[in-house]
Amino acid sequence: MVALALALTGCGGSQPAAKTAEPAKAAATAGAASLPGTIKIGAILPITGPEAEHGKSNTYLLKMLEKEVNDAGGINGAKLQVIIYDTGWKADQAGNLIRRLAQDDKVLAIAGPLSSFEAEVAFKAAVKEEIVAASYASSKPGLSKENRPWVFRNTLDEGMTAAPMVEKFVKKVQPKSVAIIHDAKDAISTAIGKAILPPLFEKAGVKVVNKDNPITFQTGDIDLQAQVTKLKSLNPDGIIFGAFQEPAQPVLNEMKRQNMTVPTIGGTPLISTEILKPAPDIPLWANATYFFGMDKGRAKAWSDKAKKIYVENNHKSDPDMFDVNLYELVEMYIDAIKKGGVTNKPEDLKADRVKIRDYMAKLKDFQGISGRVGFNADGDGDKAFYVVVGHKGKWQVED
Amino acid sequence: MFFQQLINGLMLGAAYTLITMALSLVVGVLGVFNIAVADVFMVAAFVGLTLSRLGLPVPIILVAAMVAGGLVSLVIERFGYRPLRHAHGVMPLLSTLGFAMILQNSAANIWGAAPSRFPDHLFAFKRQLGPVLIASTQVWILAVVIVLVLALTWVVGRTRLGRQMRAVAENPAAAVVLGVDITGVQRLTFFLSGLLAGAAGLLVGLNYGIITPYIGLEIGMKAIAVLVLGGVASLWGALVAGPILGVAQVMTAAYLSNSYQDIVIWGILLLVLILRPQGLFGRAVAVGRRI
Repeated sequence: MVALALALTGCGGSQPAAKTAEPAKAAATAGAASLPGTIKIGAILPITGPEAEHGKSNTYLLKMLEKEVNDAGGINGAKLQVIIYDTGWKADQAGNLIRRLAQDDKVLAIAGPLSSFEAEVAFKAAVKEEIVAASYASSKPGLSKENRPWVFRNTLDEGMTAAPMVEKFVKKVQPKSVAIIHDAKDAISTAIGKAILPPLFEKAGVKVVNKDNPITFQTGDIDLQAQVTKLKSLNPDGIIFGAFQEPAQPVLNEMKRQNMTVPTIGGTPLISTEILKPAPDIPLWANATYFFGMDKGRAKAWSDKAKKIYVENNHKSDPDMFDVNLYELVEMYIDAIKKGGVTNKPEDLKADRVKIRDYMAKLKDFQGISGRVGFNADGDGDKAFYVVVGHKGKWQVED
Repeated sequence: MFFQQLINGLMLGAAYTLITMALSLVVGVLGVFNIAVADVFMVAAFVGLTLSRLGLPVPIILVAAMVAGGLVSLVIERFGYRPLRHAHGVMPLLSTLGFAMILQNSAANIWGAAPSRFPDHLFAFKRQLGPVLIASTQVWILAVVIVLVLALTWVVGRTRLGRQMRAVAENPAAAVVLGVDITGVQRLTFFLSGLLAGAAGLLVGLNYGIITPYIGLEIGMKAIAVLVLGGVASLWGALVAGPILGVAQVMTAAYLSNSYQDIVIWGILLLVLILRPQGLFGRAVAVGRRI
């Protein structure tokens, strides 16, 4: 297990949650009473394992945030330490780390885990420990709602964002039939492939040719010739594709090898620059709250900074939506500490955690990187999203 | 679709054959499962990937990947096997397992955990032959597997090294009395195994066009199934058992479901162990003495 401790400092204060500036800068405008000791925030990231590239870039960017906040002078005089642990992209590990951060490290709140299947375990632990935990990639429907009031997700519920995406896909591609392929090992990938997208296509009058027998693969598979050959034999006009971007790449690679260029529709887990490289001729449809190259809100300035950090760390690819979601979460926690009346005294730990929870629950207008961020009553992100199409190496918003 | 799936299965089986021969060489001569061979295969694939990105021709990349596999295998022999060769049989196994983990994590740190792709130009040549799409890389794979199987057969059956290997496999103590340099044979056995694993790594990379640091474990586990199916006393067993399991795996994914693949593969393994423990082509001799 890799453990990193990052010291993040900033200074606090600023105005109520409404339309804050970047928290790191807003921190300097303080005015609140000085906080004692060191403020601790936890983060659980997949630094090793199949999603390690996410965990590593997440870590680099939290270090970037550390520098920004440090340069701004700290949080009401207190030093902030973000304790980062590696989940290895394992659900049990994610649950154990929630308990460790809550009981041993006594952090105020936790950012992470990444995925829905990790969150299914980690969120239960967070509720039991009565500490805020917030995923930055999980979008399986209902996961936050099941774990009220301590759990949040700075993502959109996939079930809520899929309808407009399918509507635009059907309008533009005009498919008569679609076929399903999904990663059976991952919760949200399975949900997209089996439960979310097929009913929407059927409702739109499009036949789902293998609804009862979807083609599956598993995270880590590279031998996908059999599945893609079968997919090709179904001769669909479109493909429903439930997968995260990394496990998705071998599938797209094999599709290209078998000369398939059928428009393919997935969801937020597909969003990254890397996924556009294996098969640039295949139009990929997805939802996104952020994509590299976006110029809305703080996105352009943030992307430039983040890309620089990627290059410095020799990290291939570009900053992605999950980097943004995690970064925003830690910014929100910093904001909550400054504005929520957190005392950071050991005897107030329980009360401080409640204050952060309440701040998050009421958050409606946090100025995130790609625009306004808030949470709905279920604890899921309430933020602007875009239907995007990745083609020829670029994501573009589909009007 | 059937004929295309058949080709897919045969290609997969060819890769299984090579890695199984790499595994079985060490099992046969030294009586130890070198679990790390699966990750030697993975490292060689990444070496091949790196060189392919430099635009080198496939034959040179193949030789380099094989040599890389051989060298990594020598390191495993020196530090993972030799100090423990007289220990209980499970100790070298655990030691090579440790090497496997080190190799996997090192590869993830060097090349990244995300999927890495071979350059597109390697896959530019494809030809539709009736219902079957054949890529030039698949022709490469078949040719290399045949050449390497024949070469290994020749080395084991017709050379001085082969005789020494067979002597060590039969009775190490007697081999020493006869003047066989046991350490030298061990070293060369690991090296040859590494060469085969290296070739397999590159060929799998070329077959799929994409690799990750985690490919070794899955394909290495299947190699054990091929080893058992082929028979521990038959060099040719892997040549037939590899394609059988490859085709079984692909057909399961194609006509049943991907989620049944492991049930089929490991179900076959269990059946063979129960009904014919010496494997399809093996003789009833002690397990651990193959070649």
